[in-house]
Amino acid sequence: MSSRAALLRDTLEIALCDDRFPALFYDKLFAARPSLRPMFTRNSPGAQQKMFAQKLAAIVDSVDQPELLRAEARAIAKSHASYGIRPEMYGWVGEALIAALREAVGPGEWTAEAEAAWTEAYTAVAEAVLAEPPA
Amino acid sequence: MLVWSLDEPHRLGECFPVEEAVCLGRGGPLSDDPAPRGGFFRSRPGQAAPCPPVGNARVSRLHLVLAPEGDALRVRSLGRAPLKINGTLTKDGLAREGDVVEIHNAAVFYVSLRPRVLPAAPGVGDAFGFGEPDAFGLVGESEAAWALRQAYAFAASTDRHVLVLGESGVGKELAARSIHGMSDRHERPFIARNAATMPDTLIDAELFGNAKNYPNAGMPERAGLVGEADGSTLFLDEIGDLPEKSQVHLLRVLDSDGEYQRLGEARSRRSAFRLVAATNRAAQSLKHDFLARFVHRIEIPGLPQRREDIPLVVARILSTIAAKNPRIGERFFERRAGALAEARITPELVSRLIRHPFTHHVRELERVLWLAIGCAQADYIGVTPEVEGELRDSAESATEVAEIGKEALERALADNDRSPTKAAKALGLKNRYVLIRLLKKHGLSAGTDSDKDDR
Repeated sequence: MSSRAALLRDTLEIALCDDRFPALFYDKLFAARPSLRPMFTRNSPGAQQKMFAQKLAAIVDSVDQPELLRAEARAIAKSHASYGIRPEMYGWVGEALIAALREAVGPGEWTAEAEAAWTEAYTAVAEAVLAEPPA
Repeated sequence: MLVWSLDEPHRLGECFPVEEAVCLGRGGPLSDDPAPRGGFFRSRPGQAAPCPPVGNARVSRLHLVLAPEGDALRVRSLGRAPLKINGTLTKDGLAREGDVVEIHNAAVFYVSLRPRVLPAAPGVGDAFGFGEPDAFGLVGESEAAWALRQAYAFAASTDRHVLVLGESGVGKELAARSIHGMSDRHERPFIARNAATMPDTLIDAELFGNAKNYPNAGMPERAGLVGEADGSTLFLDEIGDLPEKSQVHLLRVLDSDGEYQRLGEARSRRSAFRLVAATNRAAQSLKHDFLARFVHRIEIPGLPQRREDIPLVVARILSTIAAKNPRIGERFFERRAGALAEARITPELVSRLIRHPFTHHVRELERVLWLAIGCAQADYIGVTPEVEGELRDSAESATEVAEIGKEALERALADNDRSPTKAAKALGLKNRYVLIRLLKKHGLSAGTDSDKDDR
């Protein structure tokens, strides 16, 4: 496993030890972009947060394995199409994700290196999702 | 066996065999795993279907290392979410059969000794979802649940009378319905009656029917239960409450090709019925020649004999409650793609229910769940003080608690400003309610706590 993958994994596991982390992400996302809230009503907030945490963990686990990552990107693209998510929204989600991670991981463990690794990884995954043909 | 999972509630009942040292963690193996990765299986008679690795986000990539050690299981935690064995935090501990191992707020496992592949069960259908109720409503993937299904299937394949034994609340009528449903008689109506509710003077008329105008003018002709059940199944519950005289009256119809007479009628009739009788008393309490008519005797195990099924039964009861009470569903259940999904139930409640020594079984479990729903202060079902009052631990841990004497209790209270919470912690008890029970037992009382939220 690369050192970047290990850093992503470690910081995510720290964040997930805080039960509030998935809710924190959605709070930040909806606070910054209230127009997104109606897109997330098919699932209860608890179910949505579990799905988010699981998907995030699955992506981080496959970050060093291009084939697995591609499969994850394909699945996300298909799911997001059904939600009506548009390309510009990926930037908003990325900002909320980094902000929630920063708060949940805490200043002791959240380093500039961690923020750079997450920003780079998120950008790569978002590009891979956007590169998938529309479902 | 997985008995609670935050992210993967659909995987309850899956087994994680530990025959040698194995690692448990999220996703596939890592290059630095200290032992081979263990796998999850859905174990049923004659098969063990492998399942995907853990996808639960709160479980670390490498979380537990488990290894057999004598008659126990050594459990070592390398993950971030804390490990608890029977509710006590530890990094490295031993778990035995009947114990509960929890990765805090991520997953709960019940430790049981069972074969990886359950013995083949010829004639038993398994065309129902894993962990779901079977076609007749029995829920369970334990060895005991599958042994029951096999016993029902065997009894159903024959035409002989069946005696179902078991404590109140174990599901004796469900057993009778299963036997009827699996038998060639399943297209005919299932006739059920509680023998304890029949007035002594009318038992024969209820069972065998009567001729028209007998015993009084104007009495309509009645087929009786034996006649109604011709070609089908007659279920008599609480058969142990049937007076001996009535047991004698049934002897002939049970072994002479169903020959019987309606009251007030000279001619004999025949009924090709099969009797499934049930009692919560010992079989020997029945008259010996009556008992001898039951070729098949099926003993239904109580929940303490199939503890690993309790979470599946809980899920079933809660989903039935939610289906009939939309407000409860809305408040306590997650919703996925618009449909009700899993209930929000705390891992602590599941762990406590698994260790509770049930005496009224499914009926008692249902009552505790209703109590937990009724007393819930938030949008999840957990252990409230009211629920705590209903729950006890199974014998093993109860023994440890019982060893705490009056002197130790008084000392712990004195050393901790008479705070029950602090004293309970000092004594290594799970919570203050266990302490309060012990204090009552010894005629002691504690002070009041300022912190009431340590549930």
